[in-house]
Amino acid sequence: MDQLSQREINGEPGARAKRLRDIYYNTLSSADNEFPYWYSRKYFELDCEIPVVRRAAALKEAFSHLTPSVYPGELLVAQKTFNYRGSFPMPWLSEGYYMAKEDEFYKEALQRGGTSADEHSKFGSGGGNVTKSFGKVISLAGKFGVRQEEVPMMLKIARLWHGRSVDDLGHKYEQMVPDYEVKEKIMRSLVCMFDSGYTLPQGREVTNYYYPLQYGFDGLIKIAEEMKSKVAGRADGDGISGMNRLYNYEAVKLVIEGIQNWILNYSTELRRVEALEKDKKQKDEYKKNAEIMEWIAHHPPRTFHEALQMCWVIHVAVLNEDAISGLSPGRLGQVLYPYYEQDMASGRITKQEVLELLECMRVKFTCLDCFASMGVVGGVLSGNTFNNLSVGGLDKDGKPACNDLEVLILESGITCATPQPTLSLLYDEKLPEDFLLKAIECIKTGTGYPAFMNNNIAIKFLLDNYGPEGMTIDEARAWAIGGCLETSPCSWMLLTLNNKKYFIPGGSAQPTSVGVHFISLPKILELVLFNGVDQRTGERVFTDHGKKLQNYDELFSAFKDYFCKTVDVLALCNNIQHDVWRKNNMAVFHSLLKPDCLSSGHLINEMGYRYNATFNVETTGNINLVNSLVALKKIMYHDKKTSLKELREALKDNFGFKKAEEVKSYSLLDQEKYSNSDKWDELHFALSKAPKYGNADPEADEVLKEWEDWYTSVCHNYESLYGKPFYACQISVSTHGPMGAVTIATPDGRLSGTTFADASLSAYPGTDRNGPYALMTSATVWDHSKSQNSQLNIKIHPTAIKGTSGSKKLLDLTRAYMKKGGFHVQYNVVDSKILKDAQMHPENYRDLMIRVAGFTQYWVEIGKPIQDEVIARTEYEGV
Amino acid sequence: MKTNKILYRDAMNYSNIDAIKGIDLLTKEIVMGDDLAPVGYKIKPKCKFCNKFLPDSKNGSLGICKASKNDFMAYPDMIAVTCKDYEGTNI
Repeated sequence: MDQLSQREINGEPGARAKRLRDIYYNTLSSADNEFPYWYSRKYFELDCEIPVVRRAAALKEAFSHLTPSVYPGELLVAQKTFNYRGSFPMPWLSEGYYMAKEDEFYKEALQRGGTSADEHSKFGSGGGNVTKSFGKVISLAGKFGVRQEEVPMMLKIARLWHGRSVDDLGHKYEQMVPDYEVKEKIMRSLVCMFDSGYTLPQGREVTNYYYPLQYGFDGLIKIAEEMKSKVAGRADGDGISGMNRLYNYEAVKLVIEGIQNWILNYSTELRRVEALEKDKKQKDEYKKNAEIMEWIAHHPPRTFHEALQMCWVIHVAVLNEDAISGLSPGRLGQVLYPYYEQDMASGRITKQEVLELLECMRVKFTCLDCFASMGVVGGVLSGNTFNNLSVGGLDKDGKPACNDLEVLILESGITCATPQPTLSLLYDEKLPEDFLLKAIECIKTGTGYPAFMNNNIAIKFLLDNYGPEGMTIDEARAWAIGGCLETSPCSWMLLTLNNKKYFIPGGSAQPTSVGVHFISLPKILELVLFNGVDQRTGERVFTDHGKKLQNYDELFSAFKDYFCKTVDVLALCNNIQHDVWRKNNMAVFHSLLKPDCLSSGHLINEMGYRYNATFNVETTGNINLVNSLVALKKIMYHDKKTSLKELREALKDNFGFKKAEEVKSYSLLDQEKYSNSDKWDELHFALSKAPKYGNADPEADEVLKEWEDWYTSVCHNYESLYGKPFYACQISVSTHGPMGAVTIATPDGRLSGTTFADASLSAYPGTDRNGPYALMTSATVWDHSKSQNSQLNIKIHPTAIKGTSGSKKLLDLTRAYMKKGGFHVQYNVVDSKILKDAQMHPENYRDLMIRVAGFTQYWVEIGKPIQDEVIARTEYEGV
Repeated sequence: MKTNKILYRDAMNYSNIDAIKGIDLLTKEIVMGDDLAPVGYKIKPKCKFCNKFLPDSKNGSLGICKASKNDFMAYPDMIAVTCKDYEGTNI
């Protein structure tokens, strides 16, 4: 093999974080029953109670009974479960996906004997994923390890929820939507990847730590009690939901009490181990951690350490309340800055100590797992949880908001490289050069973060979409990224610390993980070309469009019709699922954190959040669609090199190539032809050589513009259950893998079963031949502020940006893109040869990370279809 | 209580890492949960060690919690460190 080019910048964490991260590297993703058991036990005890109170009481019971596990060396304590990397099912949302395998699952649990657990004490490919059962551990959903002792109860609890879960109730009522059977066919054909109502009903949003930081948990209970007195028995002019406020405040009180119990259980355990501990330093650390937990269980934090610990327990508590992917801490460096500033000024803490705490925080975030079905966790998320931390942006008055603590956050991303939290830089031209260069230094480690997001574009998007709900320019500046790269509304909150006032930002909107997710654009094109019939399954998905597709306009019109049909039926069905969620499974704890629930008495389900227009239409395969439309327009309609009939045959015949699954390669690299199959060579060559997006070629770019102008506009025609219009959301996450797998060859020359181009504006691998500036010219032919996001990933060889001049070149490139109106760009700084070696020898690359779409993940924890696509991406050797 | 026949995963000073292993809080070593804990390690409260747990005579992996309202189901391996109704048996 040629020499491998390593990344220029390599950091090392301090000894403490390194030890904790090393434990993570050797930890299995594990699931258990504790939370669901206690939740269910209380829930079924309270039959006929008011739903929100019933749910809050069940949550209190569950939080109060979580076993606190502590680990030597930790500066931050508490995690989702008693396991280091634990999670648990929430059968009240959905139980079907593991009930469906009940017999198999149960049988396996009973049969598993005493095989030595040592067989898996060293991990190879797959990292911490439990992809197969072993010893006394049963694999669930291809990722989670469950002890065999837990399985019978896990199934028994699931059975309790059968017919009662959001999934089951939603399904009962969504069948009443006209054309429901089309929705079923859409899901079976993978035109759409998943239902959002019961899989991940919250997420891709920014949480808010303000209220506990300002008032403390005792203070919040006091507020709830006072408000109960004020609203009890009063409708106050709202005859529909005014009376609900009493029950909502009671629920708030209950759930806070549960979280206080949970925190205090940790302090009890810390006191216990402190008493046993012989080592003085460790004993002191247990003592300090116990004191912090005892304090923050009741009071507002006084120091940076206390504030960080409090933010962490809030974050975990929100994640335990509901199935959430993409819960972003937002601009945590600005939230915590008051504590940092005052601790530094008083000499209570040093920068080195802050860095150590931030490194420990990175390990904690990386240990977060989200329990969901294999399709969601593997196919969509690649096991990632998308806790995106934003830095930079502007403050309330329009001045740069970056600070010294954010520099340390970037530094901790260098020294303690981990997938979580991923970092996003809210780029504004006012941000200082040294801050931006620090971000570039971080990118050069190859972690893929921070991604750059355009502040001006985001603000324009926010004002357009949330202006009707009262958003002002000042408030729009508080925004941050939720999830991968979802522009999320936030608000400025007035924090007082030792009589000094600070405006800190925090999330103030509903999740944006909701709506129609994800629509495969190339699959819809396949259905258009074959009059509504899925070529993989042979099933008719849509009724015949009745068009002969004699010209491009007719083709594009048929595409729009099918697209609208897809969004329409999915929006209706998902609205019903979310409505069931809000009636029975509403967020109580998360609601009280966000303005203006505490003051209004209404939780998320009653539109207590300040901003509610967050539902969106999410697509994947954007560039394969665009390239295919360009190829059809030129080769079939303009040059008349083929007919529709011949094209259909060629696509069905995969241009004479074997299918990706046969050759086990999922990019265009390494594909194999059947022998003597040169029938389609000329046509395949012509389609492949047709103009492609990413080369500043007007012929291709005008198709992109036409599509984006229409798509970003048509989404507003659909209405969420909250009575608000949808908008466009354009990220792929990992869906370009599985959705590519079920789509036959496309007119752009892509072969059957291969992965689509990632993101929404990344070029299809190997087709961008004119350098990154040309790619950026193509990407910005449309107005990015019309969409919640756009996504551009660029792979750069480490040598292309070496040294100070290389850093400046990369910053110049980024600035140029932002100036052109690009919303987002992120860089994979890696030598593809290393990725190929890692694919062959995963055991040597446990810590190798790669930027996939809007997130960074360990190479060994992502599937081969995505690995192949990342390897195949164009690698720029110069910028 | 002292015994030399408890598994690490049933021992008080075993902090779970994942489904198979944990940290021995006394030695700071990573240990396998199904290995025997050293002599003298105390048991961790679990339903199977509780007087109020009634095992299912037909299915040993399930049972009933007599401390619950309506005799709600329980299972032997559930940790009961935080359970206020836990009443240890004299094992």
